[in-house]
Amino acid sequence: MHVGRGLSYILLAVFVAGVAAVPRLAVGADENTIVFGAALAATGSYAREGALTKEGYDFWSDYVNVHGGIAVGGRKYRVEIRYADDESNPQTAAKLVEKFIDQDHVNFILAPYGSADTFAAAAVVERKKIPMVEGNGASERIFNQGNKYTFGVLSPGRKYLQGVLDMAVHLKPRPQTIAVVSANDLFSIEAAQGALDFSAAHGLKVVYTARYPADTSDVSSVVSAIKAAKPDIIVNGGRLQEALLMQRSLKEQGVNALIFAHSVGPDTPDFRQTLGKDAEYVYGGTQWASNAKYRGAPGFITDSKVYASEFTKRYGHVPSYQNAESSATCLAFQYAIERAGSLDPLKVRDALAALDVVTFFGLLKFDERGINIYKPMVVNQIQHGESVTVWPLGSQVRPPMYPTPPWGSR
Amino acid sequence: MPAASTGTLLRKVGFGGITGNRTVFFIMCGVLVAMLGIPALHNGYYENLFRGILMFSTLSMGWNIIGGYTGYVSFGNVVYFGIGAYTSAALWQHFHQLNLLLAIVVGAIIAALMALILGIPILRLKGPYFGIATLGTALATQEIISNIDWLGGGSGFPVHQIDNFSLYYYAMWGVCAVSLAATYAIGRSKFGYALVAIRENEEAAAILGVDPTRTKVQAWMISAMMAASAGAVFAAANGFIDPPTAFASDTNIFPIVMAILGGAGTAAGPLVGAFVLTAINETLWGHFPQIHTLFFGAVIVLVVLFLPRGVLWLLNVRGGWRGLVNSLGAYRV
Amino acid sequence: MEFNLALQDLVNGILAGGIFAVVALGFSLVWGIMNIINLAHGAYIMLGAYLAYTLFTFWHVDPFVSIPLAFIVLFILGYFIQRYIINFVVRAPILTTFLLTFGLSLLIINIALVVFHGDVKGITTSYTGTNFAVGPVTISWTKLWTLVAALLITGCMQMFLTRTKTGRAIRATSMDIGAAQLSGVNVAHLYAIVYGLGAGLAGAAGVLVSLSYSLQPSMGDPFIIKGFVVCVLGGLGSVQGALIGGILYGILESFGSQWIGTGLQDATALVVLLLVLVVRPRGIIGKAVA
Repeated sequence: MHVGRGLSYILLAVFVAGVAAVPRLAVGADENTIVFGAALAATGSYAREGALTKEGYDFWSDYVNVHGGIAVGGRKYRVEIRYADDESNPQTAAKLVEKFIDQDHVNFILAPYGSADTFAAAAVVERKKIPMVEGNGASERIFNQGNKYTFGVLSPGRKYLQGVLDMAVHLKPRPQTIAVVSANDLFSIEAAQGALDFSAAHGLKVVYTARYPADTSDVSSVVSAIKAAKPDIIVNGGRLQEALLMQRSLKEQGVNALIFAHSVGPDTPDFRQTLGKDAEYVYGGTQWASNAKYRGAPGFITDSKVYASEFTKRYGHVPSYQNAESSATCLAFQYAIERAGSLDPLKVRDALAALDVVTFFGLLKFDERGINIYKPMVVNQIQHGESVTVWPLGSQVRPPMYPTPPWGSR
Repeated sequence: MPAASTGTLLRKVGFGGITGNRTVFFIMCGVLVAMLGIPALHNGYYENLFRGILMFSTLSMGWNIIGGYTGYVSFGNVVYFGIGAYTSAALWQHFHQLNLLLAIVVGAIIAALMALILGIPILRLKGPYFGIATLGTALATQEIISNIDWLGGGSGFPVHQIDNFSLYYYAMWGVCAVSLAATYAIGRSKFGYALVAIRENEEAAAILGVDPTRTKVQAWMISAMMAASAGAVFAAANGFIDPPTAFASDTNIFPIVMAILGGAGTAAGPLVGAFVLTAINETLWGHFPQIHTLFFGAVIVLVVLFLPRGVLWLLNVRGGWRGLVNSLGAYRV
Repeated sequence: MEFNLALQDLVNGILAGGIFAVVALGFSLVWGIMNIINLAHGAYIMLGAYLAYTLFTFWHVDPFVSIPLAFIVLFILGYFIQRYIINFVVRAPILTTFLLTFGLSLLIINIALVVFHGDVKGITTSYTGTNFAVGPVTISWTKLWTLVAALLITGCMQMFLTRTKTGRAIRATSMDIGAAQLSGVNVAHLYAIVYGLGAGLAGAAGVLVSLSYSLQPSMGDPFIIKGFVVCVLGGLGSVQGALIGGILYGILESFGSQWIGTGLQDATALVVLLLVLVVRPRGIIGKAVA
């Protein structure tokens, strides 16, 4: 008796069934719903930030649905967001976006978290001609491709560390030297480059610069070299994981400086919780602060403080800027759809390109490449366990605690 | 362990000459021809899926030449895939060339050269040391490229995409078909028999007149060319390349599992493996997105435990279910 | 100035080397005695680290205290995995066990992903980051104690292998499995013990890792390659080899990333690996390998 034949027919059947049955992610939205597809990291290295992004998206969709929905040419539509896990992987993000568009026929796309994933998704939406708004991929590379269908509500990557340096050159005693290090990935390199350009333009001497592998577990050599160079300012381009690693290693080797800054991290609750008192005095660039003094247009929460308190009530933690920029992402769609008076992709795309509205998040306006260069970034510092806005002066809640005292005497 | 033991294992798979079971081969050729029809469905998702199958088949066939036929298990073929991918991207970025054929040819040539340079020292190592060394080259190459700014460094760079997107599908199909034909031709040639001779007993092969170093390096060069061709098309279709994408560990490991599942050391085995594994992966991903990688790990464990000679072996097991179970105990202590 | 930097790098390297030594020891035992390249080793390291994290976060158990516990838990896990899964193919060609342990690794890592989620976690104790200076060099207390713990662990292992009955049986089996069986050694049981030891050592290493590095489910994989390199440097199956190889590798990596390029840490190590493999596969200390 041949085991084989029967089994191989079964396997063949498995294969056919498998491919044919790859399920549609619940097709068929009903008449009065606008459906957004969002490929978002639920697992992988961006899992935490992906979760923050989802909170921001959901906060918006709940608010809008409770308040009757979006008005499109006389009729009110509910909104629905469909999620799928992109595993923090750009390939998967692109595949999911294509699936959302081709299989599920969603109306619009909300971007993934992270520059690399957003970049991959942007290529897909450009081909399919479906608009996508993003709030979590700050790399300008995304917008230098001539894409017409992707819009970014956030300030570009190179600004992340420039705010800190802008503050630094206004402090007394004025710091003279700087060390710029970054992880070796798209976003971090741009953030570091922004810092280097600013330093060159403003007379800060770069005494050390380095790039370390993005997923490294050990930066001791970089830190010992920074120590040898004795800079006044230390800035690090990277994400939460790299910020934590770098800050710890700096303490471990007893490296002191007047200013410590990371591009991403200080504004997240995880950074403060994990490092405890070692997080004190650290600066970070942030896309938004809850005490920002914007008066938003009607249709959504108009005041940053109210956003913060409503959000905290709902999710139990103070919103980070990832939450806010995600809500702002959806907000851009909301205003664009209302102004276009239609769900036609091309009309909405044009409305996005022409958008010019103040929101709780700041000014939403895109340059001809699609990125929001009109909104300023603010600088936060961790003071007594809280993230406090210290720069620019117009948004300052408390002055910066400068200079940072040496590790031993805290 | 000397190459002979791997040979004993793999030898049992090669029915009908070393190209494998004839029927299966012709069925897979038929399937391949049928796949030409996918773009007509105008469904981006399916095109993507089947293009992936074609790509992994090619990679798997490439691995099969050095791993299945010659018995040198390489964990670094992704290096050549990456070389092909970067060639394609660099041709666009620096020379504004979008011609896929050019990318494939140049990529294959560079990869072959690389295989030559790396092969001469590394192919001297045996068994696990060879495997480890190749694994090492995969990781090292990724790091080195991350530091070369001309190749985009850690950020990588984009590749402009043409409007007629299905062209990428046909290109990948072409690469796969050529690779299949090449594998078949090798299986039927003196070169192929030399490879198997090396796999079975390298010293004996040398005595009988086969030049092991030269033959092995040639095999690796062919393997590299297949991988690079797939990489060149992939980069263009993907629109973007950076070190983690080009040297992904999935791209490294999946082809090996596919070749083993389908039957290493046969011509069509890799194709079968690519189909079955992709089907399982997609089904799992569709139904259990949160934990599909969990199942994939389980699949690998089950395949290695119960189907080490590949699915095609099931076609010829004697003795029914008892025979199957008995044969599993062969390697335990 | 440059000299001070070099000195600091040397110290950093030695301190990091302790962990590499423990990782390599477990890896080397399994490889040297059972001829299995255990790709799941990294997953066991990760499990040890997460165990320390859980104990620390919920019950405030200091990580150093968790070391024996992690060793025992991972030992038991490893024993069962070997006895009832890997044992099926333990004498198969090396590719088979390579892939099997790879599959196990994927499985374990993804289970951890579901249980612990993918975000990055860390352990911050009261003494994290504390350090003292010796001249121009700053030494971290945590890393120093980690090195001491690593030395103790390797020392215990050495005593176990040379002074106990089981240890001697293990070494006998590695030399001649047939003779060992004839003298009444239950090889299946013994293999399971060896694999369990390997896993236990990985678990202990994981705890040490958790003290200085961040945790995420894929954290163990880089250590496998480093384990390879150390085994090759120090030779298989030798405790002294693992220790010296580990520290040597730590120093190499530290200097490599400083002087050749911070982005090229892994590449440097791998070039070293290739050179040693091609020039002297026996390693610097170890015995000849099959």
